[in-house]
Amino acid sequence: MSLSTIIIILLVILLLALAGLYVFYNRGDEKLQFDIGGQAPRASGGNDASAERTIRSRLIGLGLASLSVITVLFARLWSMQLVSKDEYTTQAESNRTRTISLAAPRGRILDRSGNEIVGNRPSLTVISKPEVADNAIEVQLLGNLIGMPAAAVRRKIQDQSEGAQSDRTVASDVSRRVVAYIGEHPYLFEGITVQERSARSYPYGKLAAHVVGYTGTVTREQLEESAKSEDEGAIVYETGDTVGQAGVEFQYENVLQGIRGEQSVHVDASGTVLEYSTSVEPQSGSDIVLTIDAPLQQAVEDSLADIINRIRSSVSKKCRAGSAIVMDVTNGEILAMASCPTYSPNIFVGGISNDDWSALQSEQSDNPLMNRAISGQYPSASTIKPFTTIAALDNGIANDKSEYDCTGWWTGFGEGSGQYCWEHKGHGHMNLRTGIIYSCDTVFYEIGKGFYESKNPEALQAKLKEWGLGELTGIDLPGESVGRIPDAEWKWNYYTSAADTDREWKGGDFTNLAIGQGDLLVTPIQMGCAYAGLATGGKVWRPHVLKSVRTRTGSGSVVDYDPQILREVVEDEKFRNIVIEGLKGVITEESEHIKRHFETLPVSVAAKSGTGERIGHNPTAWFISFAPADNAKYAVIVTIEEATWASTSSLYVNRDALGALYDAPDSIVPAMEGIDSIGD
Amino acid sequence: MASDQGIRESEPQSFFDLVFARLGVNLSKMGTSKLQRNGYLSKVYLMELIPNALLVLFGALVIWSASLTIPEASFLRHLLGIVLGLIVAAAMWKYDYSVFADKFTFLLVLDIVLMLLPAVPGLGYNAKGMTGWIQVPFIGMTFQPSEFAKIVTILLMASVVGTYNGKIDTLKDYLKLCGILCIPFVLILTQPDLGTGLIVLVLGASIIICGGAKARWVLITVGIIVVGAFAVVASSMTEGLPHILKQYQLNRLIVFVDPSVDPAGNGYNLQQAKIAVGSGGFFGKGIGHASQAGSGFLPEAHTDFVFALLAEEFGFLGSVFLLFLFGWMIIATVGLALRVDTPFAKLVCVGVAAMWTFQLLQNVGMCIGIMPITGIPLPFISFGSSSMMSQLLAAGLVQSVWRHRKKSG
Repeated sequence: MSLSTIIIILLVILLLALAGLYVFYNRGDEKLQFDIGGQAPRASGGNDASAERTIRSRLIGLGLASLSVITVLFARLWSMQLVSKDEYTTQAESNRTRTISLAAPRGRILDRSGNEIVGNRPSLTVISKPEVADNAIEVQLLGNLIGMPAAAVRRKIQDQSEGAQSDRTVASDVSRRVVAYIGEHPYLFEGITVQERSARSYPYGKLAAHVVGYTGTVTREQLEESAKSEDEGAIVYETGDTVGQAGVEFQYENVLQGIRGEQSVHVDASGTVLEYSTSVEPQSGSDIVLTIDAPLQQAVEDSLADIINRIRSSVSKKCRAGSAIVMDVTNGEILAMASCPTYSPNIFVGGISNDDWSALQSEQSDNPLMNRAISGQYPSASTIKPFTTIAALDNGIANDKSEYDCTGWWTGFGEGSGQYCWEHKGHGHMNLRTGIIYSCDTVFYEIGKGFYESKNPEALQAKLKEWGLGELTGIDLPGESVGRIPDAEWKWNYYTSAADTDREWKGGDFTNLAIGQGDLLVTPIQMGCAYAGLATGGKVWRPHVLKSVRTRTGSGSVVDYDPQILREVVEDEKFRNIVIEGLKGVITEESEHIKRHFETLPVSVAAKSGTGERIGHNPTAWFISFAPADNAKYAVIVTIEEATWASTSSLYVNRDALGALYDAPDSIVPAMEGIDSIGD
Repeated sequence: MASDQGIRESEPQSFFDLVFARLGVNLSKMGTSKLQRNGYLSKVYLMELIPNALLVLFGALVIWSASLTIPEASFLRHLLGIVLGLIVAAAMWKYDYSVFADKFTFLLVLDIVLMLLPAVPGLGYNAKGMTGWIQVPFIGMTFQPSEFAKIVTILLMASVVGTYNGKIDTLKDYLKLCGILCIPFVLILTQPDLGTGLIVLVLGASIIICGGAKARWVLITVGIIVVGAFAVVASSMTEGLPHILKQYQLNRLIVFVDPSVDPAGNGYNLQQAKIAVGSGGFFGKGIGHASQAGSGFLPEAHTDFVFALLAEEFGFLGSVFLLFLFGWMIIATVGLALRVDTPFAKLVCVGVAAMWTFQLLQNVGMCIGIMPITGIPLPFISFGSSSMMSQLLAAGLVQSVWRHRKKSG
């Protein structure tokens, strides 16, 4: 501006000079006169010539005023069009230039053999400007065209979840006919456009829904967070972006999400594109290869759903939920992970409707979005007994010679606080190995009492934690629960409203913990990792669902997941052998019924069942196995909530999973009822 | 002392004569050149006619370019406006303007009738939130009587002020003249059309000042107007006091003071106009390449903001050419006022020159941010038949003054 200021000053000086010139030429009698004063009024026939001269000088004044107006305008134009031209040109350019971001295709999610579990497909989407909601006729027309009630169309247009200013998605996957009709009648559908968007597709339907998760429109929180992020190369979201909201979609969002491209266009004031300018191509997100094996996953899901259905339709109407995990104990790969009830990730494509969302959240639906394999928390029940055994051996509470006598009614803490073994008839003579085989509670009550009376009672809890119970496994999925190993301090702080005597840690708490009941909570994946440690001799790999990442741009390089050791528990080999022998005996010795199911497998199996008690509910059924028993490769963890058959129901699913792994289906059709209850 | 053309050779040469003489142009000789002395050309005032004709042509070019992208800017309608305007101007030129010198009452009544026309039921027509338009029955054309009222006001004020012969000695006379000027001014304000009202005020005041009002009174009047305007604005902005200005007028003022207040709303037009002018640069973007005006960012690009369109397409060169033509035309008109005999003739020229000056200042000024936004057209350039016809009528009036000036001294 300084130059223009100088120019204006120069022009003012020029004007003054001109005025001076004028005075110079009019000196003497022709002095500049704006007023004549004191002259005789016109009415008395005053001096006509002087009046003439007044008009004359004022006319010249008018001319000068006009010239100075023009001079001012000239100076301002000089300053704007010559001095500040670049500034205004920049503004004019930014006025007419818009950058359209080109969405990058999201990476696909494949199973370990490359089968596409989650892919992309083009979806014709009807987009509306927010104002359209006010136009009743247009809303009605649109509703008729796409086959939706007008009220529903209006609700979609008024939905602000994609941002108050942004355009609203009315319908996805509309037909070509709809597109053609809207295109041919633009005057009827003002503010409505059709875009070809990329939508998630699920060739296997609901398969592994809890593992792959679902996508949704980026939330305001995510937008703000991504805007704040200072990471180099971090994804910066825009309103309306599709992002992972659960499962692998969420966990590996940074891998799956591509890098958007940009297209500069010239537009007019109403935003209509006049011409295309430069562009930067979008970069597709990378594909994720999962450790999941699609056929195995399918078999496990089918079996779990089938058994749950059978239970519900026969003995326990409340039975709806459960989970099953198949993992490779040698590297932590999750080969299958099922959770029931499940949901269809497809309903999230193009934005989930409010009705669908409320249905998924409702009490009746039993929380289908929850991945029970990692988020479900249950008392471990008898599946904890191998670890109680090891803890007892380790702390000298018991040894390989220890013997117990089970009458079915244990009174170790006096007759008043006696406890039943699950087998009320009693197991008779027991040792640690048979205690595991028959899951004899009396054996473990004695161990619990032993800890209670020892110098270091909480060595039991310490050992359980050492094996990873009550600890996160760090699986690469969101929403893992931590569980709970109760101890004296926890109990005191937890039951704050109870009487002090009830808050104290008692012997009964130890006997409960020893058989996996009471306040203990574990997740199926925790138990799976603990059994994997037993199976491998102490080495626990971090469970994971990512096998590798495949870039889709450039060389298409593959980056493999690098398995990590989660923990290594060092135990005396003798102690472990007692436990392993017990777990093998569960299959071969406990009952003919179990034995017959597993005989048909080409490998030996070690397993443990469990029946988790829940006050006011039917018990939770556990069945954990690993195979081959002596040189383990796979572990299978099954839990079913509200299962009246107790652990038998989980056994069937477990057997089906092993059958799928070893191509040896169970030849015995699961009986509906009247089955002998297997060891608790 | 007198030539046959009525130019007083003995009269001391005016400032303009001297300046133009230095530039090799002799204003007085222009009128007495052979070309003008003989034949038909002697009947037209070329000094005014040439820049005026160039302005009309320039305007037609600008509107033609606007018509390429703005559907409302019909080039044919603009041409029709020019043709109608030329007919009116030619009629005015043929007609002896001096018959109006003593038709004060007739002019006053005509002025009032023109102002009241839009209020007549069946004639009034709403455009841009103003009621200042009428629709001609049967034809369906709309036009703005206040555009013609401006010209009538020039004649009215010139006729009454002219009787004082250059000396308004008593305060009573001065106040009477101010009162007469207030009649058309107040009537226009009720339409409401603040822009045209300001034009009438400025041209009327110019006539009164040039007609011999005492400087002291004029200064006092200006002082009162300034204080009054501040009072009106302050009252309109204060809760509880009468809001004389409409909210949009107030917003325009606020935005004029600080355009960044509301760049998407009231500041938008001003901001876009300034961008259009500034981005034009020295040579302009060329016809049809105005991204601001052509792509709809600049509103009213063919009417109120036509200068911004012109400046964007033709750049600094085109803008300065426009200023030059206006300057030439206005100075020529003032020059004519200097040379004609009767106070009425002088004051008619004063009124026309003041009108052009003020409209130029207001229209160009609002596009470049030195005047608040008002809906005043740029004479001879803006799209709109009413404005084109009334401006050509004013030009015809100047030509009539030339043609019918006294032949002897």
